[in-house]
Amino acid sequence: MMDKTKLSVVKRTLAVSLFLAILLLSVCFLGLSTGSTGQNIREVFTILSGYGDQNSAMSTIVWQIRFPRVILAALVGATLSLGGLVFQALLRNPLAEPYILGISGGSAIGAIIGILLGLSRFSGVALLAFGGSMLTLAIILSLSSKSAMKKDSMILSGVMVNAFCSSIIMFLISITRESELHTIVFWLMGDLSTSDAHQTLRLSFALIPCFIVIFIFAKPLNLLLMGEEMASSMGVNVRLVSVVTLTVTSFMISATVSHSGLLGFVGLVIPHLLRIILGPDHRLLIPSCILGGGAYLVLCDLMARFIPSQGEIPVGVVTAMIGAPLFIYLMQRSKR
Amino acid sequence: MKPNKIIYLFLTLFLILTLEMNGFASVLVDQSGREVLIPDSPASVVSLAPSITEIIFALHEGSRLKGVTQHCDFPPAVKSLPRIGSYVQPDIEKIVALKPDLCIATKDGNPQEVVDRLSALNISVYVVNPRNLNTVMETILEIGSLLNADEKARLLTKEMRSRIDKVKLSVSRASSRPGVFFQIGTTPIVSVGTNTFIHELITTAGGRNLAEGNSKYPRFSREQVITLKPDVIIISSMTRGEVFEKVKAEWNRWGSMPAVVNKRIFIVDSNILDRPTSRLVEGLEMLVGFIHPELK
Repeated sequence: MMDKTKLSVVKRTLAVSLFLAILLLSVCFLGLSTGSTGQNIREVFTILSGYGDQNSAMSTIVWQIRFPRVILAALVGATLSLGGLVFQALLRNPLAEPYILGISGGSAIGAIIGILLGLSRFSGVALLAFGGSMLTLAIILSLSSKSAMKKDSMILSGVMVNAFCSSIIMFLISITRESELHTIVFWLMGDLSTSDAHQTLRLSFALIPCFIVIFIFAKPLNLLLMGEEMASSMGVNVRLVSVVTLTVTSFMISATVSHSGLLGFVGLVIPHLLRIILGPDHRLLIPSCILGGGAYLVLCDLMARFIPSQGEIPVGVVTAMIGAPLFIYLMQRSKR
Repeated sequence: MKPNKIIYLFLTLFLILTLEMNGFASVLVDQSGREVLIPDSPASVVSLAPSITEIIFALHEGSRLKGVTQHCDFPPAVKSLPRIGSYVQPDIEKIVALKPDLCIATKDGNPQEVVDRLSALNISVYVVNPRNLNTVMETILEIGSLLNADEKARLLTKEMRSRIDKVKLSVSRASSRPGVFFQIGTTPIVSVGTNTFIHELITTAGGRNLAEGNSKYPRFSREQVITLKPDVIIISSMTRGEVFEKVKAEWNRWGSMPAVVNKRIFIVDSNILDRPTSRLVEGLEMLVGFIHPELK
């Protein structure tokens, strides 16, 4: 009986992952074939399959400009949705998300200081961002710990910390020189256009182990859904699970925030959507969030490049414009 | 020296020599200290700043330009050229698609990351860094030599030099050095510090820059400006008309300032004064008219 359910979980996970992987790959292909110089699916297909002139301008554009960008979008989308999923499970609060809790804001402060100091995106800016996010996490935890990590006090202190972070960000912007202002403002709105191949590669080396660590904790996360006492009575070391997953998640968030800026709602919309469709099992939800979140952000980035304007619009604008109404709709639906 | 290093050295020398002998290209050091491979006569050039576009047109080499920034608006002929985005955030994909032989960037305006990314994509980027009138003329000469237009560049800078000397001569006859408040932003009020073109132009035109100091673009409160008692207020703006009238009316409420009493509040086209091009001389002559009207 036990073996049978386990087998069906594995089967279901594999099937869903396969479907989402195909979705991610097709969205990535669309992302590779679209850009400011136009859309050419057939030419991109020839280039990707290795035929065609590898020294042509189109080949450079596809491999060295669009490819790192699509991969970065997929990594960032995966990280943010996974981050949201972990926070929602640990805090047992549907509103928990790095952006709302102020973790993103904290890492943004670190990152802006890094940009102002002229450090490189990875690892200089990323390390400062990590410092900022750990600091805000510590503040939120200590503020809400007196009431033993209660749901509401956690979100409330998070909202307050976030507001405080915003004021510091505003302060930093007001003292910024003109030449750096544009970079910072664009970065705050969430921007993937500065991606380059080396940085994206290094980022993926940092992120993929984090994904694996979180997947290892899938089962304890499932048990935590039933409450901390229940989980610890079933042999889960709640403290260890919380500390490890929160630290790993904050690390991933800061690493991505330093590259992509602040992208709201990805960590809220994707986990909720998938939970509604797939149910609460984290063994299934973790890989689905990675693949689905990746596909979602690649799609948003595609739209950011597609909507005609002077240059392109920052992808953070797109994720928020789609994310906020979609989240309201999901909430309404799940209440019924 | 390790054998590896010697081999590399020889290879580099060989590469440079073969390229030079064939007349294909040469390695030059640009104004930011980077080594750049420059083709002998670049036929397709992308300009990453309005000032560079203006200089290239002033040298009558506009036909080499294959792409310019959104902000490039002078001379009018530039309107038909393809745009590559803003100079702070150019569209790298568009630049690559234009297959330029050479991009010319400015150290001050274009972020270092943009230069690095283009170089990583094997596009030659020559960075210029004009900081004052003298280096603007040097920059014009350098761009001239990049584009095989040395003679035109020499004539252009010679004319600039003689017009600047003429201004200096006439200003030396002036009896006073009026205090100038140069306003580049309206909300908040922003002026220009010592380390700017405009400071140099104001001083050369026989005025005192009331905002001089280490901060490049210092902010002021209205109170501070009134205390400075400017003899001349110059407002630099890209839009004339209504906005200017409003700012002017705002200043006119403070009758204690000499600039208000003597009706010496002016507006100028910001492009003439803050772009490091040959047009700076026009801006200089205009400033003399504002600061020392008696010299005309």
